[in-house]
Amino acid sequence: MPLRLGILFSRIRLEEKLLIEAATKRGMEVVKVDSRHLVMGLNGSYNFDVLLERDVSHSRTVYSLNLFQGSGVKTVNSYDVALICGDKVATTKALEDAGVPSPEVRIAFTRETALQAIEEMGYPIVLKPVVGSWGRLLAKINDRDAAEALLEHKEHLGSYYHSIFYLQKFVEKPGRDIRAFIVGDETICAIYRTSGHWITNTARGGEASYCPVTTELEDLCHKSAQAVGGGVLAIDLMETADGMLVNEVNYTVEFRNSIDPTEVDIPARIIDYVIDVAKD
Amino acid sequence: MKIRLGILFSRLRLEEKLIIEEAKRRQGVELIPLDSRKLVLRPDERPELDILLDREISQSRALHVLQILQNSGVECINRYDMVRICGDKVFTSKALHDAGVPTPEVKVAFTRESALSVMEKMGYPVVLKPVDGSWGRLIAKIESRNAAEAILEHKSYLSSYYHSIFYIQEYIHKPDRDIRAYVLGDETICATYRTSQSWLTNVARGGKAIECPVTPELHEICIQAAGAVGGGSMAVDLMETPDGYTVHEINCAMEFKGNMRAVDVNIPQRILDYCVERAMLKMEAMN
Repeated sequence: MPLRLGILFSRIRLEEKLLIEAATKRGMEVVKVDSRHLVMGLNGSYNFDVLLERDVSHSRTVYSLNLFQGSGVKTVNSYDVALICGDKVATTKALEDAGVPSPEVRIAFTRETALQAIEEMGYPIVLKPVVGSWGRLLAKINDRDAAEALLEHKEHLGSYYHSIFYLQKFVEKPGRDIRAFIVGDETICAIYRTSGHWITNTARGGEASYCPVTTELEDLCHKSAQAVGGGVLAIDLMETADGMLVNEVNYTVEFRNSIDPTEVDIPARIIDYVIDVAKD
Repeated sequence: MKIRLGILFSRLRLEEKLIIEEAKRRQGVELIPLDSRKLVLRPDERPELDILLDREISQSRALHVLQILQNSGVECINRYDMVRICGDKVFTSKALHDAGVPTPEVKVAFTRESALSVMEKMGYPVVLKPVDGSWGRLIAKIESRNAAEAILEHKSYLSSYYHSIFYIQEYIHKPDRDIRAYVLGDETICATYRTSQSWLTNVARGGKAIECPVTPELHEICIQAAGAVGGGSMAVDLMETPDGYTVHEINCAMEFKGNMRAVDVNIPQRILDYCVERAMLKMEAMN
């Protein structure tokens, strides 16, 4: 009987198409799980052997993984990984505790204390939503006027998470950063993301080019992946005069712009890993 | 050496005032108030605390503080995982169900459309709850498809992250009261009936509290429920049905002022006793 792969999504992007193709090529039976049509009970039985989470919504992913995993389904990534990587405070704490070099961070809970912490840390500061992707709502703050205005605007955004102020010391980087792709125990490839803007996300116009996976990079990626619980991850790093710093660890990884420059078949590697997890 | 007790709060309600008064009365306790509105945390800091009592009303703040302090070695009441579960109705229901604790039937959907279709299948009335709310806020008893459509549409205009998770619970026909029981560690220290004309019995919404005897049956289900979410200090909400008790919610950092008058138990004193006990256990384990 073929191995049945459940793929959780709410929109089929290029990534999901490539993953489905790769799974079909490996002889897997693909079961599409559209979260928009999904209703879950507290104990379900499901017609697949392993679930790959590909939903763009973090809240849907966290809740459904909790229920899938709690009903005995193997999932890539795990619920715990989604919880940690979906929240920048949790990611930073996990990296810090594992001794992974990462930028200096403070966490505050009101506009007033956030402003005070920013003034203490010194400008420029990067203010980030604790839950968020694609560089959205990242703010580089260069002075007190900007800090005051941004904190006030943020307070009016309404979402639950915007009341947690995550403040990161701005790191001077050489016009680029690094995104490395981790699958299980391996750093399978990496790209430089080059941009004239300090936000280098390819979704925001950053250009991807090949980056060699050096021993230093691999060690750091391995340690970071272990710190958050492992699986299929993309790690963002910055190069500084004192070595590399790990900035973020992403789950539900986008990779469409990284296949060509690295010449690595990322979706095939992910599916191979999912098969290993299913058989484990 | 004194036990360094941190109390995390953002607003001093009567509960926090009573707990702080109690802590100040104790010789062996050094009280360290942590006002989250003044707090700035660093992931690399080891705080000078033996134990932290979470009395923060904002769930997001509490979780992020616990995440850091607990991982830095501070004993927390309650623990991060427990607060994560109890602060969220999906996780609570799942934990109760998995531990075999009787709990109402629940479905979880992720869009208005799938929520509506599962309500139609379950049959009315159903109860729609925010996964992360308190005080009975935004809890809707839905009697018809018209109501379901209107409430789901209104909900989609609420901005919070969590309103896109639809938690749908079967409606339990209960007497015009439910039960709130207070659990500390493995003890059920007291319980109240909450009686109300409305189907929502929260004391914050006008429910009246009178003492409820802690029978062995009630104690047993409370301890089972507490164990299911990881144990600690909490209030367990139960309903009485012809088939016995069913547990519908567990609250951490719980309020107790409305219930304290109904029972002959000094709840803040017991909470302090429990903090000291947990701190001592932790210190023994470290030596």
